[in-house]
Amino acid sequence: MSIITQAIANADREARYLSRGELETIDHFFHDGQQRLRIASILTNNVQAIVEKGSQRFWQRCAITPSNSGSERFQASCLRDQAWFMRLITYAVVVGDIDPIEASGVRGGKAMYLSLEIPLRNVAECMRCLKEVTLDMLTLEDAAEVGPYFDYLIQGLVP
Amino acid sequence: MQDAITTLINSSDVQGKYLDDASLENLQSYFRSGDLRARAAMTISANASMIVTKTVAKALLYTDITAPGGNMYTCRRYAACVRDMDYFLRYGTYAMLAGDPSILDERVLNGLKETYNSLGVPVGATVRAVQAMKEVTTEMVGAEAGREIGTFFDHICSGLS
Repeated sequence: MSIITQAIANADREARYLSRGELETIDHFFHDGQQRLRIASILTNNVQAIVEKGSQRFWQRCAITPSNSGSERFQASCLRDQAWFMRLITYAVVVGDIDPIEASGVRGGKAMYLSLEIPLRNVAECMRCLKEVTLDMLTLEDAAEVGPYFDYLIQGLVP
Repeated sequence: MQDAITTLINSSDVQGKYLDDASLENLQSYFRSGDLRARAAMTISANASMIVTKTVAKALLYTDITAPGGNMYTCRRYAACVRDMDYFLRYGTYAMLAGDPSILDERVLNGLKETYNSLGVPVGATVRAVQAMKEVTTEMVGAEAGREIGTFFDHICSGLS
């Protein structure tokens, strides 16, 4: 759900038009839209570099982890999942809401990694590395926009 | 219920792909027209009952439908018609804000044709009334915003016929 669908759903529940305040909030959201799209394309264009640097940082911190055990399959899966989570982050930035992260990433995420016997603590650490690497490459203002989505993701994956 | 943004994200997510340039371009034009949509919504909500009154006057009031034997004859049925016009305008406004017709499909059109058929409400007259509503609304909000909301009134019409 975006701010827009949320406001519409609220208004419809009461069978009314959107209030002036709600419309102003939405208008504000439209205005910030260009900004969010710009950040999303920075992230999209740099995903590979972010995942590469993030992995290096992760394996330094958590040397004993399946993806660093010499198994190419585990390593490839780890890289794939990182790119996958980065994708959800870009969605969240665009829509301005945690919903994509929640729906496709966090819900069931813990259970999935547990069943794969991948230590959750390490998954969360890996996300933390992705966050650091990503925020390093953004301006302070953009970083402030993106940071909370990583925090939400990390919170959703810590054991 | 979806809007222009969530529709794009959902379809990209299912395919596992990042938002490509074409999608970003689409969203950009949606955001750019945001001011227009929000302002039009404000105008419509301030003038909703007047728009409905004018619409009914333009398309229905002076036709056989309000005469004895017509489907709008008796005040009760007249009132039901006005209420439905109210709905169309409100949901059309929602859809315009969202830039997406899914709310119309889910909350207005789903089963509407069947309901109208069983109540004997003439679809042709309803479509004419919605088209009249498009014209009345466009006069009020201006040509550009009128085009935006017009596509959703057309969506209601095509869902009915």
